[in-house]
Amino acid sequence: MPSAHLRVALVGNPNAGKSTLFNALSGLRQHVGNYPGVTVEMKKGRFTYHGIDFTLIDLPGTYSLAPRSPDEMVAVDLLLGRRAEEAAPDLILAVIDASNVDRHLYLTTQLMELGLPMVVAVTMTDTAAAQGIALDAAKLAAALGVPVVPVLASRGVGMDALRAALCHGGLVPVPPKFPDAVTGELDALVAAYPLVPRFLVQRLLFDVGGHIETWLTQTLAATLPAELTAARQRLAAAGCAVSGVEARTRYGWIRLATAGAVTKPATRLTTRTDRIDRVLTHKVWGTLAFLVVMFLVFQSIFVWAKPFMDAIDSGRGWVGDLLGSHMAAGPLRSLLIDGVIKGVGSVLVFLPQILILFAFIAVLEDCGYMARAAFLMDKVMSRCGLNGKSFIPLLSSVACAVPAILSTRVIENRRDRLATIVVAPLMSCSARLPVYALFIGSFLRDGYAWWLPGVTLFGMYLIGFLVAPLVALLLKRTLLRGETPLFVMELPAYKVPTLKTVLFRVYDAGSAFVKRAGTIILASMALIWASLYFPHHDAAGVSYPDRIETLEADDAPEGAKAEAAQLQGEWKRNSYLGRVGRGLEPAFAPLGWDWKIGVAALASFPAREVMVGTFGILYGVGEVDAKEVDNPDDEKAAGLKATLRKEWADDPIRGKYGVSVALSVMVFFALCCQCGSTLAVIRRETRSWSWPVFTFTYMTLLAYLGGFVTFQLGRVLTDALGG
Amino acid sequence: MLFPLDMMRSGEVAEVAEISGDPGWVGRLAELGLRAGCRLKVLQPGSPCLLEVADCKLCLRGGDACQILVRPVS
Repeated sequence: MPSAHLRVALVGNPNAGKSTLFNALSGLRQHVGNYPGVTVEMKKGRFTYHGIDFTLIDLPGTYSLAPRSPDEMVAVDLLLGRRAEEAAPDLILAVIDASNVDRHLYLTTQLMELGLPMVVAVTMTDTAAAQGIALDAAKLAAALGVPVVPVLASRGVGMDALRAALCHGGLVPVPPKFPDAVTGELDALVAAYPLVPRFLVQRLLFDVGGHIETWLTQTLAATLPAELTAARQRLAAAGCAVSGVEARTRYGWIRLATAGAVTKPATRLTTRTDRIDRVLTHKVWGTLAFLVVMFLVFQSIFVWAKPFMDAIDSGRGWVGDLLGSHMAAGPLRSLLIDGVIKGVGSVLVFLPQILILFAFIAVLEDCGYMARAAFLMDKVMSRCGLNGKSFIPLLSSVACAVPAILSTRVIENRRDRLATIVVAPLMSCSARLPVYALFIGSFLRDGYAWWLPGVTLFGMYLIGFLVAPLVALLLKRTLLRGETPLFVMELPAYKVPTLKTVLFRVYDAGSAFVKRAGTIILASMALIWASLYFPHHDAAGVSYPDRIETLEADDAPEGAKAEAAQLQGEWKRNSYLGRVGRGLEPAFAPLGWDWKIGVAALASFPAREVMVGTFGILYGVGEVDAKEVDNPDDEKAAGLKATLRKEWADDPIRGKYGVSVALSVMVFFALCCQCGSTLAVIRRETRSWSWPVFTFTYMTLLAYLGGFVTFQLGRVLTDALGG
Repeated sequence: MLFPLDMMRSGEVAEVAEISGDPGWVGRLAELGLRAGCRLKVLQPGSPCLLEVADCKLCLRGGDACQILVRPVS
């Protein structure tokens, strides 16, 4: 029944309460729509009311329909039915904020020009009432010519009235009338370009240097800019310069429309938001509050996530043991246990941190604090060519770059967003910590000042904090050069965050992480596993796994365990990856590395958390749990550190320059992009292969250079001090 | 007497006389309610500065704010 199905587009300013309304209308029946070629995300929800099936399309929050980028064009194209994957909506649901009706109606007047039926939902009626603003919905409806429904979506107030209004299909409004000079120029342009919809022709005329002008000049006529300039000059001569005529006409119309419908107090009342902002945007108190908030966020990421991470980890171990005891030894068992379960587990273990970070981001964003944080940090961030909104993603990256890159979506400017995405993986994430812990614990603890381990660890984090802004600055001066984007941001009124909005946000982030990043990690872990497993026969043709199995049997003689570990080492040495590592030894030499470090670094490219485990296998102490590195009671971890020290002591380079080599490895890991998930997310977010390839290349080069400089400097220093 | 916006002090109220610069930026400010003829109050000067425009709070950078000429209202 086509008549019983309505497609509704939900449009409104950012912070108009659109998400809350969307969640209240569609409940659990929602999913993220997939639109090829764009980074914007549009949600689709469904609900049924009085026998009518509704599809709700949640367009990204926008202040106007004047597109400045391909991303902003998507919403306009969708409303005009110009996107192949989505038919034009039957009805527009415009969302306006009762506490700021004039500003929000600006977008509504543009929506009126689409010629589609419309319903207006007025949100934040409680905030408006607190400010002494009274809104007469019936009068506003009469003035706008469309149904107007006041709602309080978070409490479900007015929702039935809104659903009923949608069922009636809304009304087609009459848009504001522009001066005759403008209409004349528009008619002429429409006649000249009959294939372009009138709505787009109007935007073409008004938006100087906008996306539509660029796009149509490329695809339609190279003479277009000259024609437009002539038309705009004629308008300016007639006293209707395009720079002001649109705002003047729309706001003039709005003033008349709201005259009897909205009454404001003569003097603006001081609101709760004003009182909170006196502290939170204050240069000293605000910055202090910001630091406390950030500290709490990160502290809880580390503290709260730990039990869940441990549970996932032991779950992984349990499944592995279960499989191990029920399957015959062989490549398949090894693939499942060492490749698949370990691979999936190493990804899932970060899920709690991601969920907690996103819960915080969702709460901070929903309550309105995020804009204040961006305001406070803008000064610092603008020095490295970024803006205030880049700060949270960069800081989040200390936990994990994957959610950090996802959270860059709040940055409107494309170049700023790309620069932030590209430098975010430079921040030391939690997966690097085990590597630092291993090397600091092995080489910089015993026999050194008590503060040295802490300072070294801090230094490793500092590398990210210093290098990331420098790279961003360099990028903004070269590849991403362009005019400094004009930075203007609205600070919305504070509100209590809604549980639904937060939960949906957390769920989206979690499922995106598991689905997309998980597949890449899985594939690469299987690859690393295979290249460390094959060939699995020794020179005599006997299978390594069989020999190890015999040695590890319960009735094996004393010392067999150590022999098994030795055998593991020999097996890895002769594996394909081992051979590659040994072949590449000359390339690792300038960094002070032997083939074992090289192989461990190579094996860590899909996911750096495998570094410690691989090291354990290569140095023949068996698998070491990355999380137990710092645990003095963990036998294997202590064994690995002892073996590392002993083996390096016997080596002419690593014996003398042990500390320099350890630092070189740490610096390499600090700067290197050894994370398949991060690259997969960059690919997804930028919708291109070039940015992940670029990120990988520059970080690997930087890491090599960093390791090289560290080792050579350390060597010179050691010689100077020791000799 | 016209002043660039970045010369206004905390708590001062002014009427916007003229906004110059890139047409895209002028249009963007108009969408946010900041346009010739509107009233604004400086909540916090500096860069970025915090303004109150038509019941909402906006922040701008100092360099951009100097492209907005205002007439102080006493």
